Amino acid sequence: MTAVPVATKQLSARWNPRRFFGPYWRHPIARAFLKAALTIWVTTTITFFLIRLMPGSPVELKIDELIQSSNGALTYEDARAIASGLFAIDLNAPLHEQYLSFMWSLVRLDVGKSFLSSGTSVTSIILAVLPWTLFSVGTGLLLSFIVGIGLGLLAAYRRNSLFDRVVSTGGSFISSVPNYLIAIMLILFLGVQTNIINFTSMRGAYSPGMQPSFYLDFIGDLFYHAALPISIYFLTQIGHWILSMRSATLSALEEDYVTAARARGLSDGRIRTAYVGRNAVLPLVTQLAISVGFIVGGAAIIEQIFAYQGVGLKLLDAVRQRDYPVIQGIVLLTTIAVVIANLAADLLYSKLDPRIGRAGGAAG
Amino acid sequence: MRGLSIDYLTRRGAVHAVRDVSFDLEKSETLAIIGESGSGKTTLAVGLIRLSPRGTKVTKGEILYTKDGVTSDVRKLDDDDLREYRWAECAMVFQAALNSFNPVITIWEQFLDTARAHGMAGKRRVRDRAGELLDLVHLDARRVLPAFQHELSGGMKQRVLIALALMLEPQLVILDEPTTALDILTQRSIIDLLRQLRQRLGFSMIFISHDLSLAAELADRMITMYAGRVVEHAKVEDMFYRPRHPYSLGLLRAVPRVSGALGNITSIPGSPPDLIRLPVGCSYAPRCPFAIDACREADPPLLAVDTPQHEAACIRWRHVAEVLRSDADVPVAEKLA
Amino acid sequence: MTIAIYARPTLGQRVAGPFVASVEFLRLLSKRPVGFAGFIGCVFFLFLAFVAPLFVPLKNDPSLAEIYQTPSLAHPLGTDFQGKDVLNQIVYGGRDILTIAILAAFFSTTIAITFGSIAATVGGRVDAAIVAITDVILTVPQLVLLIAVAAILRPTSFLFLAVILALLQWSSLLRQIRSQVLSLKERDYVEAARSLDLGLPHIIFREMLPSMRSYIAIHFILAMTQAMYAQVGIIILGLVPISGTNWGIMLYFAQGQGALFFRDSLWYILSPILAIVLVQLSLVSFASGLEEIFNPRLRGA
Repeated sequence: MTAVPVATKQLSARWNPRRFFGPYWRHPIARAFLKAALTIWVTTTITFFLIRLMPGSPVELKIDELIQSSNGALTYEDARAIASGLFAIDLNAPLHEQYLSFMWSLVRLDVGKSFLSSGTSVTSIILAVLPWTLFSVGTGLLLSFIVGIGLGLLAAYRRNSLFDRVVSTGGSFISSVPNYLIAIMLILFLGVQTNIINFTSMRGAYSPGMQPSFYLDFIGDLFYHAALPISIYFLTQIGHWILSMRSATLSALEEDYVTAARARGLSDGRIRTAYVGRNAVLPLVTQLAISVGFIVGGAAIIEQIFAYQGVGLKLLDAVRQRDYPVIQGIVLLTTIAVVIANLAADLLYSKLDPRIGRAGGAAG
Repeated sequence: MRGLSIDYLTRRGAVHAVRDVSFDLEKSETLAIIGESGSGKTTLAVGLIRLSPRGTKVTKGEILYTKDGVTSDVRKLDDDDLREYRWAECAMVFQAALNSFNPVITIWEQFLDTARAHGMAGKRRVRDRAGELLDLVHLDARRVLPAFQHELSGGMKQRVLIALALMLEPQLVILDEPTTALDILTQRSIIDLLRQLRQRLGFSMIFISHDLSLAAELADRMITMYAGRVVEHAKVEDMFYRPRHPYSLGLLRAVPRVSGALGNITSIPGSPPDLIRLPVGCSYAPRCPFAIDACREADPPLLAVDTPQHEAACIRWRHVAEVLRSDADVPVAEKLA
Repeated sequence: MTIAIYARPTLGQRVAGPFVASVEFLRLLSKRPVGFAGFIGCVFFLFLAFVAPLFVPLKNDPSLAEIYQTPSLAHPLGTDFQGKDVLNQIVYGGRDILTIAILAAFFSTTIAITFGSIAATVGGRVDAAIVAITDVILTVPQLVLLIAVAAILRPTSFLFLAVILALLQWSSLLRQIRSQVLSLKERDYVEAARSLDLGLPHIIFREMLPSMRSYIAIHFILAMTQAMYAQVGIIILGLVPISGTNWGIMLYFAQGQGALFFRDSLWYILSPILAIVLVQLSLVSFASGLEEIFNPRLRGA
């Protein structure tokens, strides 16, 4: 790593981030970490200000509400004290102290307590529903990725054939349609108009009365209930993977090393997997992690439609019930999750692509 | 190769990239194919192993390959035989070694792939063989094999390609612009290497270039191509000392002298013709200083000049000979001394 | 003395110019079935949403006797849970949604162009700051933030909603514009313009932007689709105060009133869905048609 330049007496006394981060900036992995930290910081700051400073802010509303519901028994200070406990913000302290303590409690994963079930920490509420969302979103994503790149690869190889045209047009059609509309149509046609699927029994993350645990019955039940959300995530995502893989494969096929490999008499199968496939998939892997962010958003509506108790549904409940700490907590959590996912994607990519992150360069 | 013609099919029409090319290559002979870019030389080479890209069609001709007394037409090989033929019989080293390797797997894996594709089993055997080959090209196997392609320099990659090419002891090695992307010193080493290898292993070589000095160093015979056709075909000394086609003459004159006074360098004015709509008559006529009306009427066939092994596609070859003899300039070939 | 830089176009040329360009554009487009179909679709829905309501009277009277009727001559698409004609609602339903979509796309495009150019031309710290903010916005999961913001801020006016939608979308275009301007900055004709002291806005708008027309147009269209997705999404979730009637609101009621589970109300739900889906498809097809036209490499692929 290049050394930090020995500083001559700077005329400007300001701490220049470039100087400080300079040597670290070059290394791609460190840079990824820094960016992640920055994003999390910015988002939490925005959330803080949104909650705290907007006119008619939720905090003020809460204070008013508390005062009202106590019929004047609470003073403003008392109400504020209660509110600060709920929000994990100390409302008596000056703003920047509030901010710092907000940050600090965040680090300790304390995002305040829910308004409704008073006493229950937001973190625990989120953790209770998180697994279901992760399960359905993750499975849907993985399935659509695997099937999508398979179809995309084949479509590229059979360029302009009927298979290719059907797959490509189908793919781009489906990905243009909003996912919740597909969900509604699914219910309409499979549940209501015909009677193929029994929707009512599929509501919820698992059947009432079953205890979450790792035995087979439960897992089967889990899949049964998650089948619909998973199919939606699968359908809406697959178009994107098909098209991306198809175009990545098409460019890989034009590369010189593919022709050279064929000149060496390598079999088509081997070329397809190790030469074309691996090179084409590489950029898509980063996209995989990034798309986690997008599905998490759309999951809210899907979970609402299917009454699937995941993080999305929780967010919507919280919104309806004006449970601001929970809203805040979920926004922060999802952002952090996405940031971590992006980070993981960058790291994964640097592991998979031998051209990145090595002390490369030609020798002799 | 007999009468090979290859077209590119484009929207504007068929591009006649290679037109009626014929030549014979004997064992252990080296043939140089010289021409400008767009003359069809790479298309020709790629056609030899049937690796032409999509949208290319071989319209006629045959490629006859003889091994152990058995002759087959490469054009008629089925897929499995074709894979056998490629590399085991005829290996091609591509232009710009920069991107000839899969960037995400190691060089060793690519050696292994090649070996496996031709039935060579046993990692140890392949490892030994790879070691031998890399020795031949003066590279350290321990350094090269575990590396990825971006960790090697251009010269190293070129050598590895040559080593790979010789893996199955092919009878024919085709090299497309083997030295173009390299610096002078590396070029020198590659040329010497090729010479050594040829001497040791005795394979036939076709190489394609626009660099005449390369031909002078390595080739036994030479072909100049223009606008998809062979315009002159001769032994190397004949070509250099007694060129008979105006294009070959032009090419030679365009090379500056290394030693002594600069002499008369002339470039060839104009540019190559549109290969979709070729003009009637000799395709070189528009740029030819010796052209007469008769040249523009019909495409001249290859005529034997001086000796039967020397052919030129020019009806005015005798005139060219005259000009050469009376040239106040020092004979062209001396420029390359 | 000022030197005339452009030959002043005659009035005739000025008027005819855009006209000729459009005809040329249509001609190119008609060669691509997908793009052309998309274009026709867009035109149709724009017409339906903005022009048709001028001619078709709004039938807003509930009639309890006619709840959930199946399609008939009087009501080609049936009736809703209040007995109101569905077709009528479809005709009137596009206006709000498309308006917001267009506004949001317009805002996001403007922000992207402005800040992208600024970032590229000013450089230095400003540039770094803008890029950092863009990266952050790109990372944040949009719909989640949108839900939260809609819940907290409670947008009532369309403009407000459009602005919020736009704020989440400008990131990708900004990066493109920034990189384009960065590369064009060094080119000759920019140097020439600069030496003639033509002023920064002029340079950006007259010299550089025309070459970026293609992705600005495509981005605009795609931004419309994203805006529609987000909009209809939060309407269905009931996060936006309900006023009037539009396709999203129809779906909201369908959900809420359980219309989803009645057999007879099929068309009440299906019509807005089809309308939205068709608009999205038209937009996307049109965008890909545009892409093919502007990117000559893809022609005849």
